[in-house]
Amino acid sequence: MIRILIVDDHPALRAGLTAVLRAEPGLVPLATAASVEDLWPALNRTKPDVIVLDYHLPADDGLVVCRRVKRAVPAPAVLLYSAYADASLTIPALLAGVDGLVSKSAPAGELYDAIRRVARGERVLPPISRELLDAAAARLQPEELPILGMMLEDTPPAEMAETLGLQPAEVTHRVDRMIKRLKVEIPAPRTVG
Amino acid sequence: MTSRWLTLLLMTRLLAAGVAVLLLVVHRVTAHDSTLVVVTIAFTAVTLAALAWVPRLQRSPVVWLVDGVGVLALVAASEDWRSPFYILMLTALILPSTALPFRRALAWGVAFTLGYLGVAVYTELDANTLESTIRLETITTHLMVPLVVVLALAYATDVLERLRGERVRSEQLAVESERQRIAWELHDSAKQRVHAAHLVLSALHGQLAGPQAELVGHALGELRAAGADMDTSVAELRMPLEGRSVERLLDERATELAPASEAEISVRGSVGELPAHVAAHAYRIGAEALTNAVRHGGAAHIDVMLSRNGSVATIEVCDDGRGLPAIRRPGSNGLRSMRARAETIGAALSIGPGAGERGTRVKLVVSTDFAERSTKP
Repeated sequence: MIRILIVDDHPALRAGLTAVLRAEPGLVPLATAASVEDLWPALNRTKPDVIVLDYHLPADDGLVVCRRVKRAVPAPAVLLYSAYADASLTIPALLAGVDGLVSKSAPAGELYDAIRRVARGERVLPPISRELLDAAAARLQPEELPILGMMLEDTPPAEMAETLGLQPAEVTHRVDRMIKRLKVEIPAPRTVG
Repeated sequence: MTSRWLTLLLMTRLLAAGVAVLLLVVHRVTAHDSTLVVVTIAFTAVTLAALAWVPRLQRSPVVWLVDGVGVLALVAASEDWRSPFYILMLTALILPSTALPFRRALAWGVAFTLGYLGVAVYTELDANTLESTIRLETITTHLMVPLVVVLALAYATDVLERLRGERVRSEQLAVESERQRIAWELHDSAKQRVHAAHLVLSALHGQLAGPQAELVGHALGELRAAGADMDTSVAELRMPLEGRSVERLLDERATELAPASEAEISVRGSVGELPAHVAAHAYRIGAEALTNAVRHGGAAHIDVMLSRNGSVATIEVCDDGRGLPAIRRPGSNGLRSMRARAETIGAALSIGPGAGERGTRVKLVVSTDFAERSTKP
Protein backbone atom coordinates (compact mmCIF):
# COMPACT_ATOMS: atom_id res chain seq x y z
CA MET A 1 0.00 0.00 0.00
CA ILE A 2 1.39 3.37 -1.03
CA ARG A 3 0.24 6.36 0.99
CA ILE A 4 -0.09 9.52 -1.07
CA LEU A 5 -0.42 13.26 -0.38
CA ILE A 6 -1.71 15.45 -3.20
CA VAL A 7 -0.61 19.09 -3.48
CA ASP A 8 -2.31 21.12 -6.19
CA ASP A 9 -3.89 24.57 -6.07
CA HIS A 10 -6.66 23.68 -8.49
CA PRO A 11 -9.80 22.06 -7.00
CA ALA A 12 -10.79 20.18 -10.19
CA LEU A 13 -7.41 18.53 -10.35
CA ARG A 14 -7.32 17.68 -6.63
CA ALA A 15 -10.72 16.03 -6.90
CA GLY A 16 -9.81 14.22 -10.12
CA LEU A 17 -6.51 12.94 -8.75
CA THR A 18 -8.09 11.75 -5.51
CA ALA A 19 -10.84 9.87 -7.36
CA VAL A 20 -8.45 8.31 -9.83
CA LEU A 21 -5.90 7.23 -7.23
CA ARG A 22 -8.58 5.85 -4.90
CA ALA A 23 -9.85 3.67 -7.74
CA GLU A 24 -6.44 2.07 -8.21
CA PRO A 25 -5.66 -0.88 -5.92
CA GLY A 26 -2.58 -0.40 -3.77
CA LEU A 27 -2.68 3.40 -3.90
CA VAL A 28 -4.20 5.39 -1.04
CA PRO A 29 -4.68 9.14 -1.30
CA LEU A 30 -4.56 10.28 2.31
CA ALA A 31 -5.06 14.00 2.02
CA THR A 32 -4.90 16.95 -0.29
CA ALA A 33 -3.34 20.37 0.15
CA ALA A 34 -4.13 23.43 -1.90
CA SER A 35 -1.10 25.47 -0.90
CA VAL A 36 2.29 25.35 0.75
CA GLU A 37 0.73 26.46 4.07
CA ASP A 38 -1.66 23.48 3.99
CA LEU A 39 1.14 21.14 2.99
CA TRP A 40 3.12 21.11 6.26
CA PRO A 41 0.30 20.15 8.65
CA ALA A 42 -0.88 17.51 6.17
CA LEU A 43 2.66 16.17 5.83
CA ASN A 44 3.15 15.90 9.60
CA ARG A 45 -0.25 14.36 10.15
CA THR A 46 -0.19 11.77 7.39
CA LYS A 47 3.51 10.90 6.88
CA PRO A 48 2.95 9.89 3.24
CA ASP A 49 5.23 7.70 1.12
CA VAL A 50 4.76 9.80 -1.99
CA ILE A 51 3.83 13.44 -2.57
CA VAL A 52 2.22 14.25 -5.90
CA LEU A 53 3.29 17.87 -6.20
CA ASP A 54 2.10 20.49 -8.68
CA TYR A 55 4.92 22.51 -10.23
CA HIS A 56 3.11 25.79 -10.12
CA LEU A 57 1.73 26.76 -6.73
CA PRO A 58 0.44 30.20 -5.72
CA ALA A 59 3.28 31.20 -3.39
CA ASP A 60 6.19 28.99 -4.38
CA ASP A 61 7.07 26.68 -7.21
CA GLY A 62 7.23 22.93 -6.80
CA LEU A 63 11.03 22.86 -6.93
CA VAL A 64 11.45 25.12 -3.90
CA VAL A 65 8.80 23.14 -2.03
CA CYS A 66 10.50 19.87 -2.97
CA ARG A 67 13.85 21.07 -1.58
CA ARG A 68 12.15 21.81 1.73
CA VAL A 69 10.15 18.58 1.80
CA LYS A 70 13.32 16.61 1.18
CA ARG A 71 14.85 18.00 4.39
CA ALA A 72 12.09 16.32 6.43
CA VAL A 73 12.97 13.01 8.11
CA PRO A 74 11.90 10.57 6.82
CA ALA A 75 11.55 12.37 3.49
CA PRO A 76 8.74 11.17 1.22
CA ALA A 77 9.33 10.51 -2.47
CA VAL A 78 8.31 13.51 -4.56
CA LEU A 79 6.59 13.16 -7.89
CA LEU A 80 6.43 16.48 -9.71
CA TYR A 81 3.15 16.62 -11.56
CA SER A 82 3.24 19.46 -14.01
CA ALA A 83 1.63 20.92 -17.08
CA TYR A 84 5.17 22.00 -18.01
CA ALA A 85 6.75 18.57 -17.83
CA ASP A 86 8.88 19.27 -20.86
CA ALA A 87 12.53 18.38 -21.15
CA SER A 88 13.79 21.77 -19.90
CA LEU A 89 12.36 21.04 -16.44
CA THR A 90 14.38 17.81 -16.06
CA ILE A 91 17.71 19.24 -14.86
CA PRO A 92 16.28 21.74 -12.34
CA ALA A 93 13.96 18.99 -11.08
CA LEU A 94 16.90 16.66 -10.60
CA LEU A 95 18.83 19.34 -8.72
CA ALA A 96 15.84 19.91 -6.45
CA GLY A 97 15.78 16.23 -5.55
CA VAL A 98 12.58 15.39 -7.42
CA ASP A 99 12.17 11.62 -7.76
CA GLY A 100 9.81 11.62 -10.70
CA LEU A 101 8.39 13.91 -13.32
CA VAL A 102 4.98 13.26 -14.88
CA SER A 103 3.07 15.46 -17.27
CA LYS A 104 -0.48 16.46 -16.37
CA SER A 105 -1.50 15.34 -19.84
CA ALA A 106 -0.23 11.77 -19.29
CA PRO A 107 -2.83 9.00 -18.98
CA ALA A 108 -3.62 7.62 -15.52
CA GLY A 109 -1.69 4.41 -16.18
CA GLU A 110 1.53 6.34 -16.54
CA LEU A 111 0.84 8.17 -13.28
CA TYR A 112 0.16 4.89 -11.36
CA ASP A 113 3.33 3.44 -12.74
CA ALA A 114 5.42 6.49 -11.80
CA ILE A 115 3.98 6.53 -8.26
CA ARG A 116 4.83 2.86 -7.74
CA ARG A 117 8.36 3.29 -9.06
CA VAL A 118 9.23 6.38 -6.98
CA ALA A 119 7.74 4.63 -3.92
CA ARG A 120 10.26 1.80 -4.54
CA GLY A 121 13.04 4.40 -4.58
CA GLU A 122 13.49 4.59 -8.35
CA ARG A 123 13.96 7.76 -10.38
CA VAL A 124 11.38 8.47 -13.09
CA LEU A 125 12.94 11.30 -15.06
CA PRO A 126 13.22 11.76 -18.82
CA PRO A 127 16.74 11.08 -20.17
CA ILE A 128 19.02 14.12 -20.16
CA SER A 129 20.16 14.82 -23.69
CA ARG A 130 23.44 16.43 -24.72
CA GLU A 131 21.54 19.46 -26.03
CA LEU A 132 19.72 19.91 -22.73
CA LEU A 133 22.94 19.68 -20.76
CA ASP A 134 24.64 22.27 -22.98
CA ALA A 135 21.70 24.64 -22.64
CA ALA A 136 21.77 24.26 -18.84
CA ALA A 137 25.55 24.72 -18.66
CA ALA A 138 25.25 27.95 -20.65
CA ARG A 139 22.99 29.40 -17.95
CA LEU A 140 25.22 28.47 -15.02
CA GLN A 141 28.40 30.00 -13.62
CA PRO A 142 31.63 28.06 -14.35
CA GLU A 143 32.15 27.23 -10.65
CA GLU A 144 28.70 25.66 -10.53
CA LEU A 145 29.42 23.10 -13.24
CA PRO A 146 31.24 20.60 -10.95
CA ILE A 147 28.18 20.60 -8.68
CA LEU A 148 25.94 19.90 -11.68
CA GLY A 149 28.22 17.06 -12.72
CA MET A 150 28.19 15.46 -9.27
CA MET A 151 24.43 15.89 -8.88
CA LEU A 152 23.93 14.11 -12.21
CA GLU A 153 26.10 11.27 -10.85
CA ASP A 154 23.90 11.14 -7.73
CA THR A 155 26.80 12.02 -5.41
CA PRO A 156 25.71 12.31 -1.75
CA PRO A 157 25.80 15.91 -0.40
CA ALA A 158 28.45 15.17 2.22
CA GLU A 159 30.82 13.78 -0.39
CA MET A 160 30.18 16.78 -2.65
CA ALA A 161 31.03 19.18 0.16
CA GLU A 162 34.25 17.29 0.86
CA THR A 163 35.31 17.15 -2.80
CA LEU A 164 34.68 20.88 -3.28
CA GLY A 165 36.21 21.81 0.09
CA LEU A 166 33.02 23.60 1.12
CA GLN A 167 30.70 23.54 4.12
CA PRO A 168 27.55 21.41 3.47
CA ALA A 169 25.43 24.54 4.07
CA GLU A 170 27.35 26.34 1.33
CA VAL A 171 26.71 23.47 -1.10
CA THR A 172 23.00 23.61 -0.30
CA HIS A 173 22.99 27.34 -0.88
CA ARG A 174 24.74 26.96 -4.23
CA VAL A 175 22.33 24.27 -5.39
CA ASP A 176 19.41 26.54 -4.48
CA ARG A 177 20.97 29.28 -6.56
CA MET A 178 21.47 26.93 -9.52
CA ILE A 179 17.83 25.84 -9.39
CA LYS A 180 16.79 29.49 -9.45
CA ARG A 181 18.89 30.09 -12.55
CA LEU A 182 17.64 27.04 -14.39
CA LYS A 183 13.98 26.90 -13.56
CA VAL A 184 11.27 27.46 -16.08
CA GLU A 185 9.65 30.83 -15.61
CA ILE A 186 5.90 30.94 -15.70
CA PRO A 187 4.75 34.52 -16.11
CA ALA A 188 2.08 35.50 -13.63
CA PRO A 189 -0.77 37.75 -14.75
CA ARG A 190 0.29 41.36 -14.66
CA THR A 191 -1.84 43.73 -12.70
CA VAL A 192 -2.36 47.18 -14.09
CA GLY A 193 -1.63 49.88 -11.54
CA MET B 1 -7.06 66.99 -36.68
CA THR B 2 -6.50 69.27 -39.67
CA SER B 3 -10.21 69.70 -40.33
CA ARG B 4 -10.61 71.31 -36.89
CA TRP B 5 -8.04 73.97 -37.78
CA LEU B 6 -9.51 74.39 -41.25
CA THR B 7 -12.85 75.19 -39.63
CA LEU B 8 -11.16 77.80 -37.46
CA LEU B 9 -9.53 79.26 -40.59
CA LEU B 10 -12.84 79.33 -42.49
CA MET B 11 -14.66 81.11 -39.69
CA THR B 12 -12.00 83.68 -38.86
CA ARG B 13 -11.13 84.46 -42.45
CA LEU B 14 -14.76 84.97 -43.46
CA LEU B 15 -15.27 87.23 -40.44
CA ALA B 16 -12.02 89.14 -41.09
CA ALA B 17 -12.87 89.59 -44.77
CA GLY B 18 -16.30 90.92 -43.74
CA VAL B 19 -14.67 93.39 -41.33
CA ALA B 20 -12.19 94.50 -44.01
CA VAL B 21 -14.89 95.04 -46.62
CA LEU B 22 -17.05 96.94 -44.12
CA LEU B 23 -14.16 99.20 -43.13
CA LEU B 24 -13.30 99.85 -46.78
CA VAL B 25 -16.89 100.76 -47.58
CA VAL B 26 -17.64 102.84 -44.47
CA HIS B 27 -14.32 104.68 -44.07
CA ARG B 28 -12.62 105.69 -47.22
CA VAL B 29 -9.19 104.19 -46.73
CA THR B 30 -7.50 104.59 -50.09
CA ALA B 31 -8.22 105.97 -53.51
CA HIS B 32 -8.83 102.48 -54.87
CA ASP B 33 -11.20 101.07 -52.23
CA SER B 34 -13.61 99.44 -54.68
CA THR B 35 -10.79 97.46 -56.32
CA LEU B 36 -9.61 96.36 -52.88
CA VAL B 37 -13.11 95.17 -51.97
CA VAL B 38 -13.24 93.02 -55.09
CA VAL B 39 -9.72 91.69 -54.49
CA THR B 40 -10.55 90.88 -50.84
CA ILE B 41 -13.66 88.93 -51.74
CA ALA B 42 -11.83 87.09 -54.53
CA PHE B 43 -8.81 86.31 -52.36
CA THR B 44 -10.95 84.99 -49.52
CA ALA B 45 -13.13 82.89 -51.78
CA VAL B 46 -10.25 81.41 -53.78
CA THR B 47 -8.03 80.56 -50.79
CA LEU B 48 -10.83 79.03 -48.73
CA ALA B 49 -12.27 77.04 -51.62
CA ALA B 50 -8.88 75.69 -52.63
CA LEU B 51 -7.97 74.67 -49.07
CA ALA B 52 -11.33 73.08 -48.40
CA TRP B 53 -11.50 71.09 -51.65
CA VAL B 54 -7.88 69.98 -51.87
CA PRO B 55 -6.90 68.86 -48.34
CA ARG B 56 -3.34 68.21 -49.55
CA LEU B 57 -2.84 71.97 -49.89
CA GLN B 58 -3.48 72.49 -46.16
CA ARG B 59 -0.12 70.93 -45.37
CA SER B 60 1.88 72.51 -48.16
CA PRO B 61 4.49 75.12 -47.08
CA VAL B 62 4.33 76.67 -50.56
CA VAL B 63 0.62 77.29 -50.12
CA TRP B 64 1.23 78.83 -46.67
CA LEU B 65 3.89 81.08 -48.18
CA VAL B 66 1.64 82.23 -51.05
CA ASP B 67 -1.19 82.84 -48.60
CA GLY B 68 1.12 84.79 -46.25
CA VAL B 69 2.54 86.93 -49.05
CA GLY B 70 -1.03 87.50 -50.30
CA VAL B 71 -2.31 88.87 -46.99
CA LEU B 72 0.82 91.02 -46.51
CA ALA B 73 0.29 92.40 -50.05
CA LEU B 74 -3.28 93.34 -49.08
CA VAL B 75 -1.93 95.19 -46.01
CA ALA B 76 0.60 96.96 -48.22
CA ALA B 77 -2.14 97.84 -50.73
CA SER B 78 -4.16 99.51 -47.96
CA GLU B 79 -1.21 101.91 -47.58
CA ASP B 80 -1.21 101.78 -43.77
CA TRP B 81 0.09 99.15 -41.37
CA ARG B 82 -2.95 99.83 -39.15
CA SER B 83 -4.78 98.16 -41.95
CA PRO B 84 -8.39 96.95 -42.33
CA PHE B 85 -6.69 93.70 -43.43
CA TYR B 86 -4.80 93.19 -40.16
CA ILE B 87 -7.12 90.47 -38.78
CA LEU B 88 -7.34 88.84 -42.20
CA MET B 89 -3.55 88.79 -42.17
CA LEU B 90 -3.49 86.94 -38.84
CA THR B 91 -5.64 84.12 -40.26
CA ALA B 92 -2.78 83.13 -42.57
CA LEU B 93 -0.92 81.91 -39.46
CA ILE B 94 -3.43 79.23 -38.49
CA LEU B 95 -2.34 76.42 -40.81
CA PRO B 96 1.44 76.68 -40.44
CA SER B 97 1.21 77.09 -36.63
CA THR B 98 -0.85 73.93 -36.25
CA ALA B 99 0.89 71.76 -38.84
CA LEU B 100 4.54 72.47 -38.04
CA PRO B 101 6.42 71.12 -35.03
CA PHE B 102 6.51 73.62 -32.14
CA ARG B 103 9.90 75.26 -32.76
CA ARG B 104 9.44 75.53 -36.52
CA ALA B 105 6.00 77.03 -36.01
CA LEU B 106 7.57 79.73 -33.82
CA ALA B 107 10.24 80.35 -36.46
CA TRP B 108 7.50 80.73 -39.06
CA GLY B 109 5.74 83.24 -36.77
CA VAL B 110 8.92 85.31 -36.35
CA ALA B 111 9.55 85.33 -40.11
CA PHE B 112 5.97 86.41 -40.75
CA THR B 113 6.23 89.20 -38.16
CA LEU B 114 9.41 90.47 -39.83
CA GLY B 115 7.53 90.44 -43.13
CA TYR B 116 4.81 92.55 -41.51
CA LEU B 117 7.45 94.93 -40.12
CA GLY B 118 8.80 95.27 -43.66
CA VAL B 119 5.35 96.18 -44.92
CA ALA B 120 4.96 98.67 -42.06
CA VAL B 121 8.25 100.36 -42.99
CA TYR B 122 7.20 100.40 -46.65
CA THR B 123 3.85 102.02 -45.89
CA GLU B 124 4.13 104.73 -43.30
CA LEU B 125 6.47 103.90 -40.44
CA ASP B 126 8.83 106.84 -40.02
CA ALA B 127 10.69 108.93 -37.42
CA ASN B 128 7.40 110.61 -36.63
CA THR B 129 5.83 107.33 -35.51
CA LEU B 130 8.80 106.37 -33.39
CA GLU B 131 8.65 109.63 -31.46
CA SER B 132 5.00 109.32 -30.48
CA THR B 133 4.47 107.05 -27.47
CA ILE B 134 0.96 106.05 -28.47
CA ARG B 135 1.94 105.16 -32.03
CA LEU B 136 5.00 103.31 -30.76
CA GLU B 137 2.74 101.32 -28.46
CA THR B 138 0.41 100.55 -31.36
CA ILE B 139 3.14 99.24 -33.64
CA THR B 140 4.57 97.11 -30.81
CA THR B 141 1.14 95.57 -30.21
CA HIS B 142 0.67 94.97 -33.92
CA LEU B 143 4.02 93.19 -34.02
CA MET B 144 3.33 91.12 -30.90
CA VAL B 145 -0.10 89.79 -31.87
CA PRO B 146 1.10 87.44 -34.67
CA LEU B 147 3.67 85.96 -32.30
CA VAL B 148 1.07 85.41 -29.59
CA VAL B 149 -1.31 83.77 -32.09
CA VAL B 150 1.41 81.40 -33.33
CA LEU B 151 2.53 80.56 -29.81
CA ALA B 152 -0.98 79.78 -28.61
CA LEU B 153 -1.92 77.65 -31.62
CA ALA B 154 1.39 75.76 -31.71
CA TYR B 155 1.17 75.07 -28.00
CA ALA B 156 -2.41 73.81 -28.27
CA THR B 157 -1.48 71.52 -31.16
CA ASP B 158 1.48 70.17 -29.27
CA VAL B 159 -0.63 69.37 -26.21
CA LEU B 160 -3.35 67.72 -28.33
CA GLU B 161 -0.74 65.64 -30.12
CA ARG B 162 0.73 64.46 -26.83
CA LEU B 163 -2.68 63.61 -25.42
CA ARG B 164 -3.40 61.52 -28.48
CA GLY B 165 -0.10 59.66 -28.05
CA GLU B 166 -0.91 59.00 -24.40
CA ARG B 167 -4.32 57.66 -25.30
CA VAL B 168 -2.89 55.25 -27.87
CA ARG B 169 -0.32 54.06 -25.32
CA SER B 170 -2.86 53.54 -22.57
CA GLU B 171 -5.15 51.68 -24.97
CA GLN B 172 -2.28 49.40 -25.87
CA LEU B 173 -1.51 48.81 -22.21
CA ALA B 174 -5.12 47.94 -21.52
CA VAL B 175 -5.23 45.51 -24.45
CA GLU B 176 -2.01 43.91 -23.28
CA SER B 177 -3.09 43.43 -19.70
CA GLU B 178 -6.40 41.99 -20.90
CA ARG B 179 -4.53 39.47 -23.03
CA GLN B 180 -2.42 38.53 -20.04
CA ARG B 181 -5.51 38.00 -17.95
CA ILE B 182 -7.21 35.82 -20.58
CA ALA B 183 -4.04 33.78 -21.03
CA TRP B 184 -3.80 33.28 -17.31
CA GLU B 185 -7.40 32.18 -16.92
CA LEU B 186 -7.14 29.89 -19.90
CA HIS B 187 -4.11 28.26 -18.42
CA ASP B 188 -4.91 28.37 -14.77
CA SER B 189 -8.52 27.35 -14.85
CA ALA B 190 -9.75 25.90 -18.12
CA LYS B 191 -6.66 23.86 -18.83
CA GLN B 192 -6.51 22.39 -15.33
CA ARG B 193 -10.08 21.16 -15.77
CA VAL B 194 -9.17 19.59 -19.09
CA HIS B 195 -6.25 17.83 -17.38
CA ALA B 196 -8.52 16.59 -14.62
CA ALA B 197 -11.11 15.28 -17.09
CA HIS B 198 -8.40 13.59 -19.14
CA LEU B 199 -6.94 11.95 -16.06
CA VAL B 200 -10.26 10.59 -14.82
CA LEU B 201 -11.26 9.32 -18.26
CA SER B 202 -7.91 7.71 -18.81
CA ALA B 203 -8.30 5.78 -15.55
CA LEU B 204 -11.65 4.53 -16.83
CA HIS B 205 -10.17 3.70 -20.21
CA GLY B 206 -7.93 1.00 -18.70
CA GLN B 207 -10.97 -0.86 -17.35
CA LEU B 208 -12.95 -0.95 -20.58
CA ALA B 209 -12.77 -3.14 -23.66
CA GLY B 210 -14.20 -3.20 -27.17
CA PRO B 211 -16.39 -0.38 -28.53
CA GLN B 212 -16.63 1.31 -25.13
CA ALA B 213 -12.85 1.57 -24.88
CA GLU B 214 -12.84 2.97 -28.38
CA LEU B 215 -15.38 5.62 -27.44
CA VAL B 216 -13.46 6.70 -24.36
CA GLY B 217 -10.24 6.60 -26.38
CA HIS B 218 -11.82 9.03 -28.80
CA ALA B 219 -12.83 11.37 -25.98
CA LEU B 220 -9.29 11.21 -24.60
CA GLY B 221 -7.90 12.20 -27.99
CA GLU B 222 -10.25 15.18 -28.11
CA LEU B 223 -9.21 16.27 -24.63
CA ARG B 224 -5.53 16.05 -25.54
CA ALA B 225 -6.19 18.14 -28.65
CA ALA B 226 -8.10 20.69 -26.53
CA GLY B 227 -5.13 20.91 -24.17
CA ALA B 228 -2.74 21.44 -27.08
CA ASP B 229 -5.03 24.12 -28.56
CA MET B 230 -5.05 25.90 -25.24
CA ASP B 231 -1.27 25.82 -25.05
CA THR B 232 -1.09 27.43 -28.46
CA SER B 233 -3.61 30.11 -27.51
CA VAL B 234 -1.82 30.84 -24.25
CA ALA B 235 1.52 31.17 -26.05
CA GLU B 236 -0.10 33.50 -28.58
CA LEU B 237 -1.76 35.64 -25.94
CA ARG B 238 1.27 36.03 -23.73
CA MET B 239 3.77 38.64 -24.70
CA PRO B 240 6.94 36.61 -24.64
CA LEU B 241 9.13 39.69 -24.89
CA GLU B 242 8.14 41.39 -21.64
CA GLY B 243 9.98 44.57 -22.41
CA ARG B 244 13.05 42.89 -23.87
CA SER B 245 14.15 43.90 -27.34
CA VAL B 246 13.64 41.74 -30.43
CA GLU B 247 17.37 41.73 -31.20
CA ARG B 248 18.29 40.63 -27.69
CA LEU B 249 15.84 37.75 -27.81
CA LEU B 250 17.00 36.67 -31.26
CA ASP B 251 20.56 36.77 -29.97
CA GLU B 252 19.53 34.58 -27.03
CA ARG B 253 17.78 32.21 -29.41
CA ALA B 254 20.96 32.04 -31.53
CA THR B 255 22.99 31.19 -28.41
CA GLU B 256 20.52 28.42 -27.57
CA LEU B 257 20.71 26.99 -31.07
CA ALA B 258 24.47 27.35 -31.46
CA PRO B 259 25.43 24.03 -29.78
CA ALA B 260 23.12 22.13 -32.13
CA SER B 261 24.48 23.80 -35.23
CA GLU B 262 27.59 23.68 -37.37
CA ALA B 263 26.89 27.18 -38.63
CA GLU B 264 28.33 30.42 -37.39
CA ILE B 265 25.38 32.58 -36.35
CA SER B 266 25.58 36.36 -36.14
CA VAL B 267 22.88 38.75 -34.99
CA ARG B 268 23.41 42.41 -35.87
CA GLY B 269 21.51 45.68 -35.79
CA SER B 270 18.33 46.73 -34.06
CA VAL B 271 14.69 47.26 -34.94
CA GLY B 272 14.28 49.89 -32.23
CA GLU B 273 11.10 50.17 -30.25
CA LEU B 274 8.00 48.42 -31.60
CA PRO B 275 4.47 48.07 -30.22
CA ALA B 276 4.39 44.99 -27.97
CA HIS B 277 2.29 42.70 -30.16
CA VAL B 278 4.25 43.64 -33.29
CA ALA B 279 7.52 42.92 -31.48
CA ALA B 280 6.15 39.58 -30.28
CA HIS B 281 5.14 38.42 -33.75
CA ALA B 282 8.28 39.81 -35.38
CA TYR B 283 10.41 37.93 -32.88
CA ARG B 284 8.51 34.66 -33.44
CA ILE B 285 8.91 35.00 -37.22
CA GLY B 286 12.63 35.73 -36.84
CA ALA B 287 13.11 32.87 -34.38
CA GLU B 288 11.28 30.44 -36.68
CA ALA B 289 13.42 31.50 -39.66
CA LEU B 290 16.56 31.07 -37.56
CA THR B 291 15.47 27.65 -36.33
CA ASN B 292 14.71 26.53 -39.89
CA ALA B 293 18.13 27.72 -41.07
CA VAL B 294 19.82 25.72 -38.30
CA ARG B 295 17.71 22.56 -38.67
CA HIS B 296 17.34 22.22 -42.43
CA GLY B 297 19.72 24.65 -44.07
CA GLY B 298 23.05 22.83 -43.74
CA ALA B 299 24.61 26.31 -43.71
CA ALA B 300 28.10 27.47 -42.71
CA HIS B 301 26.96 31.01 -41.94
CA ILE B 302 23.64 32.35 -40.75
CA ASP B 303 23.22 36.13 -40.59
CA VAL B 304 20.37 37.81 -38.78
CA MET B 305 20.21 41.50 -39.65
CA LEU B 306 17.84 43.96 -38.04
CA SER B 307 17.30 47.56 -39.06
CA ARG B 308 14.98 50.46 -38.56
CA ASN B 309 14.29 53.34 -40.91
CA GLY B 310 11.72 55.79 -39.60
CA SER B 311 8.56 53.80 -39.01
CA VAL B 312 9.77 50.79 -41.03
CA ALA B 313 11.50 47.89 -39.27
CA THR B 314 13.23 45.10 -41.17
CA ILE B 315 14.42 41.68 -40.04
CA GLU B 316 16.45 39.57 -42.46
CA VAL B 317 17.65 36.02 -41.89
CA CYS B 318 20.10 34.78 -44.53
CA ASP B 319 21.99 31.50 -44.75
CA ASP B 320 24.33 29.94 -47.30
CA GLY B 321 22.93 26.42 -46.98
CA ARG B 322 20.98 24.13 -49.28
CA GLY B 323 18.14 26.56 -49.81
CA LEU B 324 14.44 25.89 -49.89
CA PRO B 325 13.36 22.43 -51.01
CA ALA B 326 11.70 22.40 -54.45
CA ILE B 327 8.88 20.36 -52.95
CA ARG B 328 7.40 21.43 -49.63
CA ARG B 329 8.25 19.17 -46.75
CA PRO B 330 5.06 17.52 -45.63
CA GLY B 331 3.61 19.19 -42.56
CA SER B 332 5.78 22.28 -42.79
CA ASN B 333 3.60 24.31 -40.48
CA GLY B 334 6.47 26.68 -39.81
CA LEU B 335 6.26 28.64 -43.04
CA ARG B 336 2.50 28.83 -42.89
CA SER B 337 2.50 30.17 -39.35
CA MET B 338 5.19 32.70 -40.28
CA ARG B 339 2.98 34.01 -43.08
CA ALA B 340 -0.06 34.11 -40.81
CA ARG B 341 1.88 36.08 -38.20
CA ALA B 342 3.15 38.51 -40.81
CA GLU B 343 -0.41 39.06 -41.97
CA THR B 344 -1.56 39.72 -38.42
CA ILE B 345 0.82 42.63 -38.00
CA GLY B 346 0.44 43.83 -41.60
CA ALA B 347 4.02 43.00 -42.45
CA ALA B 348 5.48 41.97 -45.80
CA LEU B 349 7.24 38.60 -45.62
CA SER B 350 9.37 37.28 -48.45
CA ILE B 351 10.99 33.86 -48.41
CA GLY B 352 13.30 32.90 -51.25
CA PRO B 353 16.81 32.07 -52.34
CA GLY B 354 19.63 34.22 -50.99
CA ALA B 355 22.22 36.30 -52.85
CA GLY B 356 23.57 34.52 -55.94
CA GLU B 357 20.73 31.97 -55.77
CA ARG B 358 22.44 30.29 -52.80
CA GLY B 359 20.90 29.47 -49.46
CA THR B 360 17.71 30.98 -48.14
CA ARG B 361 16.73 34.52 -47.41
CA VAL B 362 13.76 35.42 -45.20
CA LYS B 363 12.89 39.09 -45.07
CA LEU B 364 10.25 40.70 -42.89
CA VAL B 365 9.32 44.34 -43.37
CA VAL B 366 6.87 45.89 -40.94
CA SER B 367 5.65 49.44 -40.63
CA THR B 368 4.71 50.66 -37.17
CA ASP B 369 2.24 53.12 -38.70
CA PHE B 370 0.06 50.26 -39.80
CA ALA B 371 0.46 48.58 -36.45
CA GLU B 372 -0.72 51.67 -34.60
CA ARG B 373 -3.72 52.03 -36.84
CA SER B 374 -4.66 48.39 -36.51
CA THR B 375 -4.76 48.51 -32.71
CA LYS B 376 -7.35 51.26 -32.75
CA PRO B 377 -10.92 50.11 -32.47
